[in-house]
Amino acid sequence: MINPKEAHIKPLPMPDADSEAYWRGIREGKLLLQHCKQCGHVQFYQQAICRACGSEHLEHRPASGRGTVHSFSVVYRAPGPAFKHDTPYAVLLVELAEGPRMISSFVGDDPLVVTFDMPVELVCEPVGDTGVVLPRFRAAR
Amino acid sequence: MTSSPSASRSLRGKTAVIGCGISAVGRVPGKSALALAADAAYKALADAGLQKTDIDGVLSSHAFASPFHRFSVAISEYLGIQPTFSNTLQVSGATAATMFNVAAAAIHGGLAETVLIVGGDSLLTGLSPDLALRSMTESRDQQYEMPFGIPVANTFAMTAHRHMRDFGTTAEQFAQVAVIQREHARRTPGAQMTEPLTVEDVLNSGMVTTPYHKLDCSLISDGGAAFIVTSAERAKALGIPKPIYILGGGECYTHEHIFLMPSITTTGAVQSSAKAYAMAGYGPKDMDVAGVYDCFTGTVIMMLEDLGFCPKGEGGRFVEDRQMTYGGAIPCNTHGGLLSFAHSGMPGALFHFYEVIHQLRGQCGERQVQGAELGLVHSLGAGFATQATTIFGTEATL
Repeated sequence: MINPKEAHIKPLPMPDADSEAYWRGIREGKLLLQHCKQCGHVQFYQQAICRACGSEHLEHRPASGRGTVHSFSVVYRAPGPAFKHDTPYAVLLVELAEGPRMISSFVGDDPLVVTFDMPVELVCEPVGDTGVVLPRFRAAR
Repeated sequence: MTSSPSASRSLRGKTAVIGCGISAVGRVPGKSALALAADAAYKALADAGLQKTDIDGVLSSHAFASPFHRFSVAISEYLGIQPTFSNTLQVSGATAATMFNVAAAAIHGGLAETVLIVGGDSLLTGLSPDLALRSMTESRDQQYEMPFGIPVANTFAMTAHRHMRDFGTTAEQFAQVAVIQREHARRTPGAQMTEPLTVEDVLNSGMVTTPYHKLDCSLISDGGAAFIVTSAERAKALGIPKPIYILGGGECYTHEHIFLMPSITTTGAVQSSAKAYAMAGYGPKDMDVAGVYDCFTGTVIMMLEDLGFCPKGEGGRFVEDRQMTYGGAIPCNTHGGLLSFAHSGMPGALFHFYEVIHQLRGQCGERQVQGAELGLVHSLGAGFATQATTIFGTEATL
């Protein structure tokens, strides 16, 4: 349970056995997608088996980092005190060039410039001095 | 659905709702979630003319303010009963309809004879700061969603936003849902919000997360609801004046994470309702009244489409044409819904059942939909991840 005294601290990802390699990749500036060697399915959400065929033969390959904004929502009222000072910020549903979608947030510009199907590119951004790096997106250059 | 081997097995007409009760709703200080649930349970028993010892099954949702792992067991203890069938269901907002589906299946399958469906929560006055924070943030994925500051509202907002882009749905059409449901709430005794509301009021209420303004979002409330479901035979033997039969149920779970939702503008409500309609032997055009989960205004517009009340993409115009109220195609959320009646978390979705069952009993006074015989209630949750539909009818529809 969240301690109210720590409510101002942003939640940071805690990698598990399925996602450890993914988060290591993000720290190295790479967004690793899982490619199934058996059926060719490409998945973002990290798991031990292919979601299409169930094969365990998955291979990590770095994504191009390019994508488009499938949808988005600009947050004016934050979910708790940790994000209050960031408002307004744009949460993105990014469709990666390789097909899978992921949740991220928009950086590098006014959130009000975000539009549907806008091309964006990956920015692996450290969170303060936490040692954690998050995959965010900016307008494609 | 006809090719499914289960098509020959059906719970159509096998069970009926024979009692309903709700606690006071809105701001109800000084009552625990269990107390609200118990209050509703005793009202439902009185409505059915039964004693608590007549209950042999209990189904419930969870409560944020009384976070028992086994709320259905805790409420049984609180009521002083020892059921021989019980479960605490958790599929977020869809839990309400799943309780009716599971109750019907359990009774039809012989696991129980008379099931109490019950939920209570006190989100408005009963949450300690840590529980309030938990309720706001914990339902999103810890690794892939929460680090980006994604409120619960955000997943629903992104679907509605894309709906605007793909179908030309407007902010005014979203607002119209809130306006119509406020009109309904103004005629519902005990509703939390009864001040008149205009489209401009909604649009000027302050942005929460685009495209949703404050008044596009549902309420935060206290309240409980309870129902007694039994076999059709027992309902008859008890001489219940107007049992409301469960005619069909269906569910669909398309994803856990919003980024794995197959389409963000068409939901699993298509499948859950198709299954319920097939079992009931009726279609959307046959429904006289509906209760549709309305966590946000745009949710209702998307559901009116996916439940088959209007074609895909036309939900905005359907609402603008006032097809979701009296005189329209399908009077919907005639009590005011989560937007204006009350939203006490998971029990909030039970209020739609309370209203639709009362409509079918003909007990809604000035809110009565004349001649209502068939009603659909749809519950959903978790950014459209969970979907459940239940169809009810009077004896004439069997």
